[in-house]
Amino acid sequence: MLRELFRRVHYLVTRRRRARELEDEMAAHRAMAARDGSAVPFGDELRLREDAQDVWGWAWLDHLSQDLRFAFRMLRRSPGFTAVAVAVLAIGIGANVAAFGFFNLLVLRPLPVREPDTLLRLERRSPSAYNGALSYPQMAFVRDHATTLSAVMGLATARLTDSDGRPVSAQFVTGNLFDELGAPMRLGRGLVPRDATPAADPAVVLSHGYWLRRFGGDPSIVGRVLHLNGRPATVVGVAEPRFSDLSLDSPDLWLPIERHPFYVAGSVFLTDVSGNEGVRAFGRLRPGATPAAAQAELRGLMNALRRERPDAVWDGEWLLTLPAGYATGLMDGGHRGSGQAPLGEILTVFGLAGALALLILATACANLGGLLLARGVAREREMAIRAAIGAGRARLVRQLLTESLVLALLGSAAGLACGSAVLRGLMALSGAPPFLDTTPDWRVVVFAAVAAWAVALLFGLTPALQTARLRRSRTAAREVLIGIQVATSCVLVIVASLLARGVVSASTSDPGFDVEHVLSVDPGLRAHGYTPAQASAFLTTLTMRLERLPGVRSVALATAAPLSRVTWTIGTEVDGRPLSLLANHVSPAFFTTMGIPLLQGRTFTRQDTRALIVSDALARRAWPGLSPLGRQIVLGEDEAGNEIAFTVVGLVGSSRLPNPNAPDALDAYLPIEPDEPPLLVALVRTSGPARSLVSAAGAATRSLDPGLFPEVASLRTWLDRRVQSTSYMAMSVGALGLFALLLAGLGIFGLVAYAVAQRTTEIGVRMALGARPHDVLLVFGRRFVGPIAIGLGAGVLGAAGLSQLLRAQLFGLSPIDPSTYAAATGLFVVIATLATLLPARRALRIEPVTALKHE
Amino acid sequence: MPQGALALLILRVLRSGPLHGYAIAQRIHALSDDVLKVEEGALYPALQRILLKGWATAEWDTSETNRKVRSYRLTAAGRRQLEHEMASYDRVTRAIQAVLRTA
Repeated sequence: MLRELFRRVHYLVTRRRRARELEDEMAAHRAMAARDGSAVPFGDELRLREDAQDVWGWAWLDHLSQDLRFAFRMLRRSPGFTAVAVAVLAIGIGANVAAFGFFNLLVLRPLPVREPDTLLRLERRSPSAYNGALSYPQMAFVRDHATTLSAVMGLATARLTDSDGRPVSAQFVTGNLFDELGAPMRLGRGLVPRDATPAADPAVVLSHGYWLRRFGGDPSIVGRVLHLNGRPATVVGVAEPRFSDLSLDSPDLWLPIERHPFYVAGSVFLTDVSGNEGVRAFGRLRPGATPAAAQAELRGLMNALRRERPDAVWDGEWLLTLPAGYATGLMDGGHRGSGQAPLGEILTVFGLAGALALLILATACANLGGLLLARGVAREREMAIRAAIGAGRARLVRQLLTESLVLALLGSAAGLACGSAVLRGLMALSGAPPFLDTTPDWRVVVFAAVAAWAVALLFGLTPALQTARLRRSRTAAREVLIGIQVATSCVLVIVASLLARGVVSASTSDPGFDVEHVLSVDPGLRAHGYTPAQASAFLTTLTMRLERLPGVRSVALATAAPLSRVTWTIGTEVDGRPLSLLANHVSPAFFTTMGIPLLQGRTFTRQDTRALIVSDALARRAWPGLSPLGRQIVLGEDEAGNEIAFTVVGLVGSSRLPNPNAPDALDAYLPIEPDEPPLLVALVRTSGPARSLVSAAGAATRSLDPGLFPEVASLRTWLDRRVQSTSYMAMSVGALGLFALLLAGLGIFGLVAYAVAQRTTEIGVRMALGARPHDVLLVFGRRFVGPIAIGLGAGVLGAAGLSQLLRAQLFGLSPIDPSTYAAATGLFVVIATLATLLPARRALRIEPVTALKHE
Repeated sequence: MPQGALALLILRVLRSGPLHGYAIAQRIHALSDDVLKVEEGALYPALQRILLKGWATAEWDTSETNRKVRSYRLTAAGRRQLEHEMASYDRVTRAIQAVLRTA
């Protein structure tokens, strides 16, 4: 068997010589037969020779190379068609390459670190709470005791201030992180465990980007001393851009985590077990250990730690271990709350990107199908001749499919280039860390190649069968192609308009509170180790100072500034319905300061403890049609296990800017708890534009404690940042939508023109017999109205389904926003009508006599 | 003539020594008392198949009339194949004859 295969391959290599030998041999045979005068063979010599050669089983290769040569010749002969087809495919496949590339980057491609497969992410879980981060003492306990893990790494972000007062994003990391991940260094060295000890000089490693931005890529930077929060730090190295520190934060620099108190005055980071300060923790599995074994050991370790420090571990707490060798494993570090951890938003993004990309590909395929169908008409004569000289139908279909495949491969190569460029652009715009390398790897290339094959079959098979059948049969192919294009592009246009409207309404319309006249001041008291009593005193003074500033109307305090990234969700039940509340502990002045209207009841007083103020949206969800005042919601348990019920005392307007993680902004406002002052953020209502008071508010805060570095920004700034990512999304989808609309318009135009061309004679006869222009238009109109209408219907339904995924990106706009649907559908009807009527008009200009002579 | 049978005949005539394609056809024709006529369109595919299976090798030679011809020479594998085929052919013909006689 193997020998036979070897002989076959050997034949393939020496094919030309062997064919010549066979030719000579058969010629000799004929000559001898002629000499003998007996039984002179007759028949097509070439055909006989091919029959003999086919024994070796390489005929398909000859046919393929013939088909390919012919396909290239055909495509070169109609460069216009080729260019259009390749461009259409490039965009269709390109969108999919970009979507898959994104998925690949986050889910399939290992991080550029040493042995990514053995990295585990550790997260806190218990039956009633979750937290993406461990406390430092917890992490230290795991590091000191775990035997299934060979190393435990941790990181925590902080915002520091440099000597010029500019903010610097710092990542505090454990000393083993650089070595453990095999960090590539541009200059100097990474952090080492020795840097964590108080005896060592304070060391800092710069990121490549910060080094270029801040120091112009100064090659002699190593050894220079920076001042961070007024403390000196010596630069020991600069990391390469491809260094992944197991976060998506793209920090400016890295500092040893044990030095947190050195830079952040009064920091209790290393001892705090409240769960407010967290370390994103990672472990490396010891060779031979399984993730399940690690998880079991960690559960035991938590129980051991609880015996030692009951306050450091929740009831029933265990540590969830997740694979961390991929970019998805690095997400959602800052989320915590009670109840069950929600699924990541990223799944929605993948679903949406994939669905949109497939839609554009379907549009492109349907469009090309129509193009090929029309081209098939022009090639009827050619096909007839080929069939007449003996080409079988299968051979003709194969030839036509090969042409499609060549087109698809060309389009796929172009799409690979386009898609990767688009992905690179989007990742750069969205500030993705530089180690997420967007150059296509083998998975993306394989994906593009497979897509090309699938696409070639999709758009090439029907036209090929129809052309090769050599009959002008009345098939539904044309109508189906139009229906598909209309439906898919309709979905894209509607989704794009929804996103665009979401962005516009988010940045211009009333979000439910005042964004122009409110300033948030985050003094960061918790990070600086303020006790509740100290923080309370500080905030009282700060409130007075801020209120005295000219142009300030009121000052309020809240645990979560609106639009900030901090979220605290509470899972609860009302009448058996599960609800996830977005909790915020606020001072009585919060609602007037934020400009949120009080609809019923009252705001808090200083005496309120178990009072609750709910938003309109929450009230409608919890008690539809009923007044919420006086009703109770259970929010947690006390130490004895008794449920704590809160009574609703007020109803306020809903804010229309939900946090992306909580699509339905079910805001619940609670009084400030005694232990919460270190967490509070001050909100300042101004009479003029909030921006003008940013520096004054910052100075007022620092005058109380020069060790603080407060984060001060107007709510407008936060809003613009929040809207930005959606506006990129709207722009990308909008570009796809416009392209789909163009394709659909051109597709309808082309297919109607083709129908007119095909039926020239018929129209001539009709007109000669007295048909009036509108009769003729009606003949065509009727054929296409059906598919267009069905396509529109399917498109609207599809968009309604798909846009449910979009809720979080729409900033309070309903996914079934009627005006958007009406506008998009109307636009579509106009385009479809134009695309039908323009080519159909040609039919009216047909001279009956010319038409009858046409064939 | 079925393909397998033709291959069997070709192998059989090659047993007595190397022959070129035309000679093979002639020999079968003569030995069969002019009954079996091997057409060019059947002969050369069969010969290519024999080469593929490795039952014979081919080399260029000069014929008795001083013409360049390609001679086929049976290999050891070809000889084994021939014996195997002949044995099974005998068995089948005997079986068929037995049926024809008694039924």
